[in-house]
Amino acid sequence: MASSRDDFIIAIRSAFLKKSTQQKFSLLTLVFLSVFIILLSSLDFRAVRYLKIAINEVVYRSSFLVSIPENFLKDSFMGISDYTTFFKDYNQNKKELSKLKSDAVSSNIIEFENKELKELINDYVSTSNKILAKIIMDHDSPFLKSIIINKGSKDNIKIGTNIYDQSYLVGRVIEVNYKTSRVLLLSDLNSNVPVTIAPQNVQAIITGRGDNIGHIKYMKDGFSNDLNNQSIVYTSGTGAIFKSGIPIGKLKIKEEGSTKKFNVEFYSDFSQLKYVFAEVIIKTAIENTTQNSTNNENSTPIDVKLNILEDELKIVEDTKLKFKQENEELKKKINNLNNDILDLKNNIFLQKEKIEQSDLDKKEIEFLKMNLYYGHKCRRSFFNTKGFTVGSDDYRNCVFNKGRKN
Amino acid sequence: MASLSSRNPFRKLYSWLPIVLLFISVLNEFDFNYLNLDYFSFNFPFILIFFFSLKDFKHFDYFLVFLAGLVNDTVVGLPLGISSLSYCLICIATSYLRNITIRPHIIKDWFYFLFTISLINSISYSVLNLFFSYNLDLVNYVINNFFTFLFYLFFVYIFNHYLKGVND
Repeated sequence: MASSRDDFIIAIRSAFLKKSTQQKFSLLTLVFLSVFIILLSSLDFRAVRYLKIAINEVVYRSSFLVSIPENFLKDSFMGISDYTTFFKDYNQNKKELSKLKSDAVSSNIIEFENKELKELINDYVSTSNKILAKIIMDHDSPFLKSIIINKGSKDNIKIGTNIYDQSYLVGRVIEVNYKTSRVLLLSDLNSNVPVTIAPQNVQAIITGRGDNIGHIKYMKDGFSNDLNNQSIVYTSGTGAIFKSGIPIGKLKIKEEGSTKKFNVEFYSDFSQLKYVFAEVIIKTAIENTTQNSTNNENSTPIDVKLNILEDELKIVEDTKLKFKQENEELKKKINNLNNDILDLKNNIFLQKEKIEQSDLDKKEIEFLKMNLYYGHKCRRSFFNTKGFTVGSDDYRNCVFNKGRKN
Repeated sequence: MASLSSRNPFRKLYSWLPIVLLFISVLNEFDFNYLNLDYFSFNFPFILIFFFSLKDFKHFDYFLVFLAGLVNDTVVGLPLGISSLSYCLICIATSYLRNITIRPHIIKDWFYFLFTISLINSISYSVLNLFFSYNLDLVNYVINNFFTFLFYLFFVYIFNHYLKGVND
């Protein structure tokens, strides 16, 4: 018993500490070194950060070089499969292009309006500049979905920079090196994007599942009933992580028994990415010369207060004017409605009269009919002395009683 | 004549092939994932490290294995040191197995391999999830584990041929 325990301890000790002739380090040393590196990499020291950036740069470039043969095979395979559907795709693209051209015009107008409105709200204008970046590593790991692009801090890329495939969102930058960056794709489990589902205008959060389908993670109860398969998902801009209004994908509703599952089919195919656009945002202050000049002239606090009060007064007057206009419009509406009510009342009165007349006519026709049959029995004559004078009420009653006098 | 052949650069490269292959696989993530086969993935470095450290191969330096781990972490985007720790733990497990085994048997090695990679993947998953708050799909880990286990025998067959070639 004791000897078997000793054997176990000896075997374990030997496994950890024994160095073969060709080994420079024992495994225990390397394990401690690994743990030390794990701890060090979790702490954000400047020296460690720079070392990490240097390692990343070297490894990414080496990985790109090593991947060349595999990428060549992959591209050849894709190229051959593309040729088989070439003509069909061409026709489809032609149709889409003509449609997109018309959409682009209205989009430009909206963009211009948007810029103007932003200028009014903010004291700066954010001009975005999309730069083309090549994907140098895309290994499609089953665990983490990320790509490496050949643009880094040298090209003004920052952590959080939005990455696009054409105009569709594909992810955001999570690690920046000098000439390379790592992009976390929307399909990654760690990716959470606040979105708006249009046209229902429902707010939600989508997260990746590891494949080309996103999953709706959070959505307020009761809003899901209005959604359908035609709904479009785009970024809401909540949290200022992503810009608002960037298209992401289409909603796909999957019914599993009584429950509904909401997924998002991404517009972009992440496995086919070769080049992406990185949106570099540069904030520039608005040069408002008129305002600056007035500010220089009236720089005392009282003047500033007066200016604010004047502005407030202007706003109040504007609101008052608006209320007045609304009030007048409402009055007009009330008058119109009263007139309508009077007209309707007249109509009712006329219709009632008509109904009464119709009833009378019906009674008269009935009397005349019966008069033809029973009039001779009720009319006073030489042979019928018990009869009544024609036109009298007794005569009328006698006719309605079918000639009976009582 | 023998000394001439050992100085031959191709011969030298051939004897260093496992390490070269390890670095290529970690740099390239050699796992056929682009074939888009659902849930298919396997960990080639695990098989390679397990086999050659079990055989106590002459040119299989633990420090280089450790460096390969660092490279793998950089490529995959994991915190530095996680893969190095995993690779070193595989080396420890094989070293222990080598010490306690008198008559090696491939089936025993195979199931010991399953136990080792399951344990290491569990440690890796726990560390990433608990200490680094990574969201990882456990199903992917299990499937990766299973395929790595299945492919072990196939690669053992190839590696044995390689060892035969080197020894000859």
